[in-house]
This record gives sequence, structure tokens and C-alpha cells, in this order.
Amino acid sequence: MTNVIEVSNLTKKFGKLVAVDNVSFAVHEGEIFGLLGENGAGKTTTIEILEGFQKANQGSVSVLGADPRHGHRDWRDRIGLVLQESDFDPLHTVNETLRLFASFFSRPRDVAETLEMVGLADKANERVGRLSGGQKRRVDVALGIIGHPDLLFLDEPTTGFDPVARREFWTVIEGLRETGTSIVLTTHYMEEAERLCDRLAIMSKGQIVAEGTSASLIGALGATTIRFELPSGVEVPTLCSITGAEFTVHDNMASVLLGNSLPEVLLRLLTWSQSTGTALNGFEVVRPTLNDVFLGATGSDE
Amino acid sequence: MRFIRLSFAQAVYNLRAYLRSARTVALGVVMPVGLLVILSWVFAHQGRIAAAAGYQISAIAFYAGGLTAYGLMLGTFTGVMVAVVSAREAGWLKRFRGSPMPPGSYLTGEIIFNVVISLALVIVMMVISTLVYGLHVRMVGLVAVFCYALLGVFCFTAIALAITRIITTPEMGSSVGPFVTITLSFTSGVFLPPNLMPHWLTSVSNYLPLEPLAQSMQYALAMHAGTGFELRTFIVLGIWGVVGFAVAQRTFTWQPLRR
Repeated sequence: MTNVIEVSNLTKKFGKLVAVDNVSFAVHEGEIFGLLGENGAGKTTTIEILEGFQKANQGSVSVLGADPRHGHRDWRDRIGLVLQESDFDPLHTVNETLRLFASFFSRPRDVAETLEMVGLADKANERVGRLSGGQKRRVDVALGIIGHPDLLFLDEPTTGFDPVARREFWTVIEGLRETGTSIVLTTHYMEEAERLCDRLAIMSKGQIVAEGTSASLIGALGATTIRFELPSGVEVPTLCSITGAEFTVHDNMASVLLGNSLPEVLLRLLTWSQSTGTALNGFEVVRPTLNDVFLGATGSDE
Repeated sequence: MRFIRLSFAQAVYNLRAYLRSARTVALGVVMPVGLLVILSWVFAHQGRIAAAAGYQISAIAFYAGGLTAYGLMLGTFTGVMVAVVSAREAGWLKRFRGSPMPPGSYLTGEIIFNVVISLALVIVMMVISTLVYGLHVRMVGLVAVFCYALLGVFCFTAIALAITRIITTPEMGSSVGPFVTITLSFTSGVFLPPNLMPHWLTSVSNYLPLEPLAQSMQYALAMHAGTGFELRTFIVLGIWGVVGFAVAQRTFTWQPLRR
């Protein structure tokens, strides 16, 4: 597998603050790679180094085979950017804005086709100043992909979107992956990362604290929760001795976090419930989410 | 070839925004023309006005020349500053920098755009002065005025670019621009005859860009002989322009200053 991005031992300091601390990772061709973290974790700094806007203090960075600091015009021609914040001249139409940008690239996408992709086809002749926040962000994305990039950087692309717009946006990104575009995405929406990213890295205080596919990261937590209402007349010690698991009760809900013992505990519990006719109201088996991985990895649990 | 095409694409883009914004058109054209009407009406009884170095010229030549220079500085200096700072703070320049666009074509586009609107201003001023106020201009004088206009665009673009580093918001640019221009206009023989000003003040103004530009335009419109070209004006504005671009080369930034 070819890597479109290779980062090793990257460090960036702003005065005494170490924004990015000895970070290494690689992005494979054709994948969506997610960079997750809280505000100030170092995501944007990392991405800006990859985009060539900032200079690293230490370490080596290769993006499409070149050092971003010396990335020439041919290199920029293959890269699309959706920056964290940017605004446009409100007096131009969506069409005019895109046409100007298309003229910079050697093999631009068709403007109408691009607008279709981001769901703005009906706004082509609308002035940018009259668009809603979500629609402007789509113009941003359209500008990012107008040059037909091999590699696209998306820095928190769906911040400020309503849930419907966010889902529509995910479809756009998945469509881009199908065309073979490699994508680096930063986000703090776990659902977004879980849905879109083939692989992801979680950053905290400038370091990568976890890396892998979302399934492998969730799997590595190795814990599933069983939860139900404590049946009346049943004592917690009884429950524990029947199932062999350390149940705790909170707000009359009995719950336990289980690893490999999940099948046995479940079997004993259900057998007991059936043989004694005890109802298990509100019974659920809860798989951990990426959010649990995130909270565990960044140590920002409650 | 690509560079030229992209520069013109930028210029057209700027021009389109300019024409759609009533405010910029008002600032760039209506204000100098309005001042021309008011001031030449107020001073019409004067007949002749003592311009710099004591030359007596007609009131209309004085105001047509001076206010053209004033409008040119107001439009270019303020316009470039506001355009660059707002594009920078909006992240637009950063986007440009991250694209394969050659950086120089943005700047060239900005200059082409300002040349176009400045020439339009000169034409409007000349047409009104000759048709409405009966100004007689020799062809060579007209050519000189157009050349000075190009020189002025070069110089004021450079100075505007050089100070964008300390202009943090577009609002700041749109107040600094007119403030500097109007202040200089009083000391540079644009609104009032220079002999009404203290001598030391006009001496200082001789080395600032607006005074030579205004005075050269006034003479080019008033003269009865000669070519209308003054070496001093080319030297003063040329130095300001070259120094401005040199400073801009070192201090210009494509990334927003405020984060």
C-alpha cells in the first residue's frame, strides 16, 4: 500500500507550548484518515504543517512525496484544502467564486458537476453573501475539490451544521472516497469519525494517544455493559452470586462492565430469569462507542 | 501566458465586486466629482489660484488636477488596503496561497484593477472639467495626466501593501485610508491653495507622494507650453513605490493576523 502522507517524530512548539509532540503516522492512498482530539489538542497545527502553512521544529513530513514547505505549484495542483475558517466575497455568486478557483488548477472539475456533488446546484447563481452558514461551508468544500485533488484536507468541515446537513455531507465525502481521493479529516464529532474514517488517530495534548480503525479501537476497550432495572425483592449480592459478576446498582439500575466473560454471565443471567420468572425490565447490552474510546484515551472522562 | 490570464481573472473578479458595491463606487468616483463641483463653485470668483511655487493657474485647472490626484490616492490607497486586509482576515489569501495560483498574479490583478478604475476616474474628471467648466487642455497635457495616474497607482498600491502588516482589520483600513488622504490633501494644495499653509508644512509635503502628483496634474492641465512631465514627480513617487514594494516583499503575510 502506498502512503500519501508520512509523518515521523513531528514536533512543533509555540514558545514554551509544545503544540505537537513527537507525532508519527501515515495515511494510505485512497483512505479517509481521521485526526480526533479536543480543541487545542494539536490537530489543526498538525494539519497546517502538512498543508505547508507552518514549519515544524523537528521531525520529517512527506506529503505526496514532497516536503510541504517546498511544495511547488505542481504539488499544490494535486491538493485540496478546506480550512477551519474562511469567508468569501459576499458580492460574487457561487458560480463566479468557483470559476475563479477552477482557473488556478490544471485539471479542474466542471463547476456544475462540483456544485451537484456538494448539493448546491440550485444555488449556482445566488450571491455568496445570501447563503446560510451550512451552505457557505459547502462552498468551502466545493473550493476544496474543484481542482480534482488526489489528497483533500478537511479541517472540522461540519462544525455548525445541523444534523441533516451533516448526514448529507457525509454522503458527499463517501462519494469522494469512491473516486479515489485520499482524505485527511479533523473532527470532534465521534459519530462522524466512526462513520467516515477508515483509520483514525486520537490526539491529546499534542500526542497521538490511540491509533487504528474505529472497530479495532473499540474492540481494544474490550468491555461491554449489561444493564437492567433491579427486579423487586432481589438483592445485589444474590445477583452477583447467581451470575458471578460484580453488579452495581445506581438509580435502581443494575449494571456491570464485562470483557471476555460476557457470554457466560449473559447465559447465567438469562437462565435464572427464565427459571424463576423474574422480569428484566429495560434490559440492554451496550457496546462501547468511539466516544468511550475517546474519553478513555484523552483522559477527559467526566 | 498563464500568469497573465490569471492576473486578468483576478482583475475581472475585483472589478465585478467593485461595480456591485455602491459604497466603493461612491468613494472612488462620486466623492472627487462632488468635491470638484462644490470647490470650483465656491472658488469660481477667484478666477486664478496661486498653485505651488506661486504659479497662477485657473481655479478649474487647480481643482481638476488636485482632486483627480486626491481621488486616485483615496481609491487606490484605501482600496488596496481594504481589499488585501479583508481577503487576508477572511482566510481568502490563505486559500490562494494553498492553491497552485502564482502569488504574483493576485497582486498583478489588484494593480490592473486599480489602473482600470483610476483611468475611469481620470476620464470622468476630465470630461466634466472640459464640458461643464470649460477647461482647455492640450493633448500633451492629457497624456501627461494619464501617465501620472499610472505612476500614482503604482506608488499608492505599493504603500498600501507595505502597511497591510499593521492594519489588522478592514475597518481599520477604511478609516486610515481616507484619514491619511484627506490630511495630506490639505497640506498638498488639493483643497486649498498651498500658500495658505505654513511654509514648513508644504516643504515636508514636497517629499510625500500626494503633493508632487497633485501639483504635476494641475500644471499639466493649466500649461500653455512644454510637455507637462516633471522629473521630480517621477523620482519622488518612484522612490515611494519601490521602497513600498520592498517593504511589502518582506512583511506581507497571506495568513490572517487574528486567530
